[in-house]
Amino acid sequence: MAEEHQHQIYLQPIPVRIWHWINAFGIVTLAVSGAQIRFPEYITLLGSYKSAIYLHNTAGFVVAISFSLWFFYYTFVTRTMANLYVPKVEDLKTGLVKQAKFYFLTYFLGWDNPHHPTPDSKFNPMQKSAYLAIMFVMMPLVSLSGIFLTNVDPLRGLIVMIGGLKLLAGLHFLLACCLIAFIPTHIYLATMGRTPTDHIKTMWTGWEEEEEHDEKPETGGVTSGH
Amino acid sequence: MKRYNVLNSLWLGLLLVILALPLSVAAMEMEDCLGCHSDVDEVGDDLFIDEDKFLPTEHAEMGCVTCHESVTDEHPDDGESVSSADCLDCHEELGSEYMATAHAENASCSDCHNPHQVHGIEAVSGPDMNQQCSQCHEDVDVMDSHSQWLPQASLHISKLPCITCHTSAEAYEIVLNITQKKKKSEGGKGYRFSTYDDLKQYSNDKEIQQLIDIDGDNHISLAELRTFNKNPEYTDLHLSGTMVPSEVSHDLSTLDNRYDCTFCHASGPGSMQTSFVAFPTEDGRYQRMSVAEGAMLDTLYGTPNFYMTGPTRSAAMNIIGLIIICGGFVMPIGHGTLRFLTRNNRKH
Ligand code: HEC
Ligand code: HEC
Ligand code: HEC
Ligand code: HEC
Ligand code: HEC
Ligand code: HEC
Repeated sequence: MAEEHQHQIYLQPIPVRIWHWINAFGIVTLAVSGAQIRFPEYITLLGSYKSAIYLHNTAGFVVAISFSLWFFYYTFVTRTMANLYVPKVEDLKTGLVKQAKFYFLTYFLGWDNPHHPTPDSKFNPMQKSAYLAIMFVMMPLVSLSGIFLTNVDPLRGLIVMIGGLKLLAGLHFLLACCLIAFIPTHIYLATMGRTPTDHIKTMWTGWEEEEEHDEKPETGGVTSGH
Repeated sequence: MKRYNVLNSLWLGLLLVILALPLSVAAMEMEDCLGCHSDVDEVGDDLFIDEDKFLPTEHAEMGCVTCHESVTDEHPDDGESVSSADCLDCHEELGSEYMATAHAENASCSDCHNPHQVHGIEAVSGPDMNQQCSQCHEDVDVMDSHSQWLPQASLHISKLPCITCHTSAEAYEIVLNITQKKKKSEGGKGYRFSTYDDLKQYSNDKEIQQLIDIDGDNHISLAELRTFNKNPEYTDLHLSGTMVPSEVSHDLSTLDNRYDCTFCHASGPGSMQTSFVAFPTEDGRYQRMSVAEGAMLDTLYGTPNFYMTGPTRSAAMNIIGLIIICGGFVMPIGHGTLRFLTRNNRKH
């Protein structure tokens, strides 16, 4: 084992990988079934309307549960949630700008990624901010609004108080659009490793190639982290 | 000339009085009948006619005797039984449609309709309409059987009149009812349909219609709907929408296409154009007022609590959503292009 992974680091433990792929599959299912529920005249990919609804509810349930397990794992098992996902002061002050400069300028010049992922610091400042918004704001809100929408009758009082069913459904729809919009960006950034499939393999095997730190930025064409 | 005119109308008036006199003497009038039959002490529960419910009906305009032809002046002392008209005599079309269905063996017209309390579909609320069915089809049984195949069964059953699914119709329309939070004294949770008296407390000396129809033109504009929905004084009220047939039919045979959700849910925003607000009246009925076309599709404030997945989607939201999703491709396309063009910089 140690032999085999000499120049590699174990970046994505099994629970995280399982969660990631359940989540990925679930979100794609939700997007397709959700589209059929909203536009039944035009989209009939999943057969009957009823099967789209049952699939959407089931996938929503699975994603919400797996989200909770993910949350539990990082907060209580590895206890690295805050460290991994909450940007630090220097991340916000200088890190964000540095990372943005890399993505939008120095990357094209062939420089190295200023961020080197380790199990304790998997994400660069931009990733941290994006994931903070997605995992701590959008995912909980989209799940919560989904739970409300499947229990309209019992929760009517609360829904009216919030501002109505239309507001709730609109919120659910727009949040879903944001999460869908994240997919192409996410997949694209995942191809920015050493080789286009590097990061994707990591999410499957758990192991990431280690940096060769002695290389100079100008010549270290290959990069790591997205 | 002038005198001749006056004389003429005098004669005419006298003639009318003479003609009318024998009628009121010879046969009992509606008031006479009701004199006994609207008094429980006089006739007992079984023969009691609720005057307040009967008088506003279309049937009241015909008078009692039209339907109870054989009643005599000696009634009830003559001991003769009184004849009752057959509904089919006058309601040929709906009647024969119903009699042709299998359900006619299960229930007769007067099992569902009290001939002395008839109302059109526009004058009755969904729950009251369903009351007719639940005399025989118990709510729990209906819930049980429908939840086996119907997603959100309790929502559908509580919101929709049974006949929306169980009879055929050319077209459907949306009816909004004013509902209000149940008070603690009424058992707390949920909402119930507001009565005339409830709404009178909100409108005070104004007509209750003016709670929504502010300018009193007998038509509700989108702006008026929004104003009502946003009014902080009405936080306990909300408009609850339902879908009803535009015209009543009585073919109660189960309809396969209602089993297919797309019958309603893929009917498109075009099916949401016609809508009404049903205001309760003093006598426990409802009176409709038309609402501006397309108000059901207003993004947020037109009808904040009427949402039917599919047809009520808002076009504005769709566009915003599309823009957001397109935003997700900016990075792959923009960055990807530059990445491709500068690929040599990253080669050794
Ligand atoms: C003086 C009070 C009185 C008046 C006026 C009166 N009814 Fe009745 N009616 C009764 C009573 C009492 C009975 C029950 C008689 C019986 O059981 O034999 C009855 C019975 C009936 C019945 C049921 C008969 C049946 O065979 O089941 C009908 C229908 C009816 N009345 C119609 C009328 C109509 C129509 C009028 C007006 C034209 C009218 N009544 C006026 C007292 C009255
Ligand atoms: C549109 C026709 C119609 C009119 C108008 C009408 N009735 Fe009836 N009435 C009926 C029919 C039909 C029945 C038989 C109902 C049944 O079989 O259950 C009936 C039954 C009754 C009964 C028997 C008890 C009952 O409720 O079933 C009474 C009493 C009665 N009518 C009184 C009146 C009186 C009094 C008036 C006028 C104030 C009146 N009806 C007007 C159609 C009419
Ligand atoms: C003598 C004729 C006559 C008889 C008998 C009769 N109706 Fe009617 N009914 C009318 C007329 C007229 C109207 C008003 C016009 C219309 O809706 O067709 C009416 C209206 C109605 C309405 C709708 C009321 C509204 O406000 O639109 C219902 C429901 C109804 N009748 C049910 C019955 C039932 C049930 C019976 C048998 C118990 C019956 N009618 C017997 C003449 C009759
Ligand atoms: C299974 C219950 C049921 C039976 C049986 C039934 N109806 Fe109805 N009927 C309804 C309902 C529900 C409505 C719609 C709302 C209302 O008026 O209550 C209605 C409405 C009507 C209307 C008013 C139509 C309108 O345009 O508003 C008439 C007239 C009518 N029925 C006549 C009849 C006649 C005649 C019979 C017997 C041949 C009959 N109904 C049997 C349930 C029934
Ligand atoms: C007087 C009693 C009675 C009333 C009122 C009544 N029904 Fe029924 N209905 C029956 C009976 C009895 C059956 C046959 C047994 C069963 O399926 O439950 C039946 C059957 C049905 C069926 C099944 C038909 C089939 O082909 O399998 C439907 C649907 C139905 N009723 C709808 C309604 C609706 C909607 C109303 C109200 C507008 C209503 N019924 C009012 C007695 C009634
Ligand atoms: C969303 C549309 C819808 C609504 C609302 C609805 N039904 Fe049905 N109902 C159906 C369909 C579709 C079937 C046939 C189901 C099947 O074939 O399995 C059915 C079947 C039935 C049956 C026959 C089978 C059984 O369960 O016994 C009865 C009776 C019935 N409905 C009564 C009612 C009554 C009463 C109401 C109002 C409280 C009502 N339904 C509301 C769509 C509806």
